[in-house]
Amino acid sequence: MSDRPDDDLNLTGPPQEMYKFLRDHMPVMAVDHPMMTGTSVALHEDVMTVLQNPDIFSSDGATEIGQVRPLIPLEIDPPEHSKFRKLLDPLFAPRRIAQLEESTRSLVNTLIDEVIDDGTCNFHKTIAEPLPSQVFLTMFGLPVARTAEFIELKDGIIRPPVEDAESATDYRNMTGQKIYAVLQEAIDEKKRQPTDDFISQFLSAEVDGHQLTENDVLDIGYLFFLAGLDTVTASLDCMIAYLAQDTGAQQRLVDSPADIPAVMEELLRWETPVAGVVRVAAQDTELQGCPIKIGDTVSVNLGSANTDERFWADADTVDFDREINKHIAFGGGVHRCLGSHLARMELRVGLEEWHKRVPSYSLKPGITPEYSVGLRSVDNLELSWES
Amino acid sequence: MKVELDHERCQGHGRCYVLASTVFESDDDGYGFAVSEDIAPDDEDAARKGAGNCPEDAITLIES
Repeated sequence: MSDRPDDDLNLTGPPQEMYKFLRDHMPVMAVDHPMMTGTSVALHEDVMTVLQNPDIFSSDGATEIGQVRPLIPLEIDPPEHSKFRKLLDPLFAPRRIAQLEESTRSLVNTLIDEVIDDGTCNFHKTIAEPLPSQVFLTMFGLPVARTAEFIELKDGIIRPPVEDAESATDYRNMTGQKIYAVLQEAIDEKKRQPTDDFISQFLSAEVDGHQLTENDVLDIGYLFFLAGLDTVTASLDCMIAYLAQDTGAQQRLVDSPADIPAVMEELLRWETPVAGVVRVAAQDTELQGCPIKIGDTVSVNLGSANTDERFWADADTVDFDREINKHIAFGGGVHRCLGSHLARMELRVGLEEWHKRVPSYSLKPGITPEYSVGLRSVDNLELSWES
Repeated sequence: MKVELDHERCQGHGRCYVLASTVFESDDDGYGFAVSEDIAPDDEDAARKGAGNCPEDAITLIES
């Protein structure tokens, strides 16, 4: 690559080279750009410092995604934070998630049934988007029949279809109001007729001896809506886009399904589908000697931390046999992704069933995967196989 | 060998009890704990794998 990545900067391509450039030349970088002002952090060491010190690097008000109150639990700092995690953690613990495995497996197969005889599909549209959406909407208590509408709302926040930053904020705020309305409608319905879904459980749940308020339920719901409808889609996209270009790896998954978890972890490291998270400096501080002022936004580059050669042996090698792989694709510190165990189950079951039924596949001729920035979905993931 | 799991540092990534299920288990919230402070000789490799894969460096092994 050239000395300055601007010369050939292609934001939709694989980001690992750009991460390396950031680490080597601007590991802590002040950014003043219409889409983001603040400081971006690229080294594993600094990323862990930010994530593990919530008293210095706060989450309160760090994320602007159309919400009108802090998202629960993402934007709540300790000690309040742990009260909400105490309520939410058991719902996402591995033993609870295991109960969803069978229905998830059958859903994956239903989705594959619809495309397998065609010998071709847009994997993003036909598998990666509906799979986590349907799992999430069912467990949360929103109607699966409205999946397409909800996905459009989610995209309106994460990828607003406008050019400049100001319009993006307006679009997000407008979309946010629609999401609150969807959640309020569901809350009203579950109040009349409770079931066993999350919304019903939250309405009767207590934190610290106090019942959750309706606003609490909305603020949890808003975060879950965005996280539940996008992150696993992006992760499946990234993994299948990688595997479609590596026939050896495909063969290994087919021959040795027991290796799927290790392959999955290494692709989570290498691809880091959720590329970054955001914090706000709660006091004046510094990283690598670079001053950070109170109130500055700190953008944490998880993808760069996961490929930092200062931390990883053979950082640039995708190695499915790593003995040690302590990647932070699900973040770290107190805000470690609440849904990580659900995500891992969906990804594993998705990869298991796909490779059982479509043992050999490739990108359609002429297709180059285009990754969206930040949350790395691949809308043009066109595959073909022998049917 | 002895194992110490720092519950303040542990954030429930769940790597230890997935990769070394003879040494670590999950509580009801998905956070790990060591089944026993003392590691049997046969479990030492598993303990190293579980400890080495903790993203938060919450697990310390004390070789005797």
